[in-house]
Amino acid sequence: MIGGRRPLHGRKLGDRRVRVERPHSAYFRYTGPGQLTAKATASAPTTPLGRAWASVRHVLFGRQLSNEEEAYERLPKKLALPIFSSDAISSSAYATEEILRVLVIGGASAIIFSIPVAIAIAAMLAIVSTSYRQVCRAYPSGGGAYVVARENISQIAGLIAAAALLIDYVMTVAVSTASAVAQVYSVIPQVYDYRIEIAIASIALITIGNLRGLREAGLVFASPTYMFVGLALLMIGLGFARIITGTAPDVPPPSDAVAMGTAPVTGILLVFLLLRSFAGGSVALTGVEAIANGVPAFKPPEAKNAANTMTMMAILLGVLFIGITVIADTFNVLPTTEGGPTVVAQVSAAVFGDGSILFILFQAATALILFLAVNTSFNAFPRLAAILAKDGFMPRQFSFRGDRLAFSWGIVSLAAVAGVLLVIFGGDVHALIPLYSVGVFVCFTLSQIGMVRHWNSSRDSGWWWRAIVNGGGAVLTFVVFLVVVSMKFLDGAWLVVVLVPTLVAMMLFINRQYAASARQLALRPDQVMTAPDREERVVIPISTLNRAVVQAVNVGRSITDDVRAVLVSDEPEMAEEVREAWQRQMPGVTLVVVESPYRALTGPLLAYLDVLDQAWPPDTEAPITFVVIPEYVARHWWERILYNQSTNRLRTALIGRPNTVVTQVPYRREEPALFDRTPGSEEA
Amino acid sequence: MNDTRHAPIRRIVVSVNGASTDPLVVEYAATIAKPTKAAIVVLHVVEIDWTLPLDGSAAGLSEEAQRILDIAEASAERVGIRLEPVLLKARNVGAAIVDEAAAQEAELLVLGLPYRTRFGGDFVMGTTVPYVFKNAPCTVILVREPMPEDGA
Repeated sequence: MIGGRRPLHGRKLGDRRVRVERPHSAYFRYTGPGQLTAKATASAPTTPLGRAWASVRHVLFGRQLSNEEEAYERLPKKLALPIFSSDAISSSAYATEEILRVLVIGGASAIIFSIPVAIAIAAMLAIVSTSYRQVCRAYPSGGGAYVVARENISQIAGLIAAAALLIDYVMTVAVSTASAVAQVYSVIPQVYDYRIEIAIASIALITIGNLRGLREAGLVFASPTYMFVGLALLMIGLGFARIITGTAPDVPPPSDAVAMGTAPVTGILLVFLLLRSFAGGSVALTGVEAIANGVPAFKPPEAKNAANTMTMMAILLGVLFIGITVIADTFNVLPTTEGGPTVVAQVSAAVFGDGSILFILFQAATALILFLAVNTSFNAFPRLAAILAKDGFMPRQFSFRGDRLAFSWGIVSLAAVAGVLLVIFGGDVHALIPLYSVGVFVCFTLSQIGMVRHWNSSRDSGWWWRAIVNGGGAVLTFVVFLVVVSMKFLDGAWLVVVLVPTLVAMMLFINRQYAASARQLALRPDQVMTAPDREERVVIPISTLNRAVVQAVNVGRSITDDVRAVLVSDEPEMAEEVREAWQRQMPGVTLVVVESPYRALTGPLLAYLDVLDQAWPPDTEAPITFVVIPEYVARHWWERILYNQSTNRLRTALIGRPNTVVTQVPYRREEPALFDRTPGSEEA
Repeated sequence: MNDTRHAPIRRIVVSVNGASTDPLVVEYAATIAKPTKAAIVVLHVVEIDWTLPLDGSAAGLSEEAQRILDIAEASAERVGIRLEPVLLKARNVGAAIVDEAAAQEAELLVLGLPYRTRFGGDFVMGTTVPYVFKNAPCTVILVREPMPEDGA
């Protein structure tokens, strides 16, 4: 730096200039009159422990991002598709199997319905995704089914949709992780004993990935999704080519194939089987709503990009799902019992050739996308929780964004709950699956009903056909909901039926609490507040006379002249010594000794404050009592255990006491200068 | 005096004054600085009246003057450049700019000039720009803001 505050001389006589210090510039930037914006350095840790933790976080999660960088974090469509659609797209890997597993019970006469069932599910997917396209455009601030139901039906309907979705997202993480680990231990059986550890580790990795921010997570998770989609499309293309050219192979049933029913199934039993297979295959629809929840994460124009991504996802999922089902049906692929090759694995083996590079690549991509399916939940859950938190239905922390602009609380909470579920259920997919995909149909139904009402009230152009599409969708998804619940109720879906109202009740309770505190804190807009005219007094609880106490007394004196120290003591001799020293060293400051033969410290002090209040003239407004607590600042974290325990108890006891302000006056060992002065040195 | 005809520019002094030209000047300097990774010193001079002490307290003038530099700093960061802000008090703005550029051993001095006309339509340049043009030890670039459409 050139110069200082002394004038610098210029080249011509009389030209002088003075540098002005910029003490704020390291930490702040002036951005308007009376307005400062903090720089990253303002929140940089100052303690060694804090710095160490910051370094760890920097390595794990990357550098802090500012709000201005939010636009950069927005997702282009090519990254949004894998981020929000990995769940939906990955379900094409097992949805066909879910259908076949049911139909195989009805034998060959039932299995021929696999393609019509798949087409019916794809039709429902078309209706649901069309509906959500409209949701993206009508509600660009995100929130999906929750916002649609809240705005168009009722707040409770919105909360039911939200609760159902939150549960489903947690279940998606638990089930997808457990099922991906199951894929691993079906290949490497030794892994079985470590399945929970592997599951927790994979959730931890995906959590870290998501805490690093949306864009970075997108870059990490995009390639496996595109690899799966590319290879699956190639497989379907080659499979169809063989069907068209009449060279479709007849896949021999594996040794562990599920035994096919022999008796022809007709009538009501066939309807039951078809409904059940429809419900089973409908798992393909989980995750479809995630894009509508995350519209603000898209690059502008957000709504248009989200709607187009939704269509792209629906087309991809529909093509993959119907394609795999048609090939499986034409190639006569049968599902196997637990541990055998999956339907999609048999299809890929038949198309690419068993053991071929493409087959191995496809299997690897399938396992990866199953692991990454949870990522959709990691994006949708925190966003929904943030919207709920902004509306006051969840703790506010859920709407705070972390260092990388991700909703860290939501991400960590989701990982924690899903991790606990995995541990409780021992990482067993089958124990978890009945809880899965129940909630999603609740919110599909509610959002479709909401959209019918939306069109009915908005009467935009073409509203009637949109309302018909949504109305039809609502009926269809409600039927599927009933089927799914009735089929899975006793297996564990009852838990979801109990959990949804519980969660709704919790959210209503939180909302009531926030509303009550907001009412208590509110200022009427017409109120103009003037300076108060109340008397003040200072009470300083002490245990002895020392430097910390002197500092507290000085602070008290700067507030008012009515300062008194209170010594609560169970040792009269010690109290007498303190009194003697006090009179000698602290002239002019009252010391009140409260003897406590029952050895309590906090209780007698509180009682003394009550007595002071009662002694105040009743016709005068009560004074503000400042309880000034001297505190010794520990230099190290471990020292904190040794000091200030009774002051902490006292502070807790005083919080909430009317007309009382608690002030802590820290004494730092680094600042002894005031006390090291010898008498008379001030005059020197 | 530095000869900037052949040597790459290593240090640029940019003068800002809170006018609409500030972002233009900073971005222009950033474009020149980027290829050679030249350091940029952004300078704002507060003119102090002869009736007031020059080395008196800076507290009164700080916020608005500091904000001019902070905004320049922010616009530089947006184009990926870091700069060193310098706030000066002086009796004569032109002299302070020239002296600071000399003290900083700048090879280039960049100034901004808003397009202003006085009553009658004559273009106004003020006194600072001519002073700097006449006395600056290094190359000077003046960035005049585009003529307003109704002023053409």
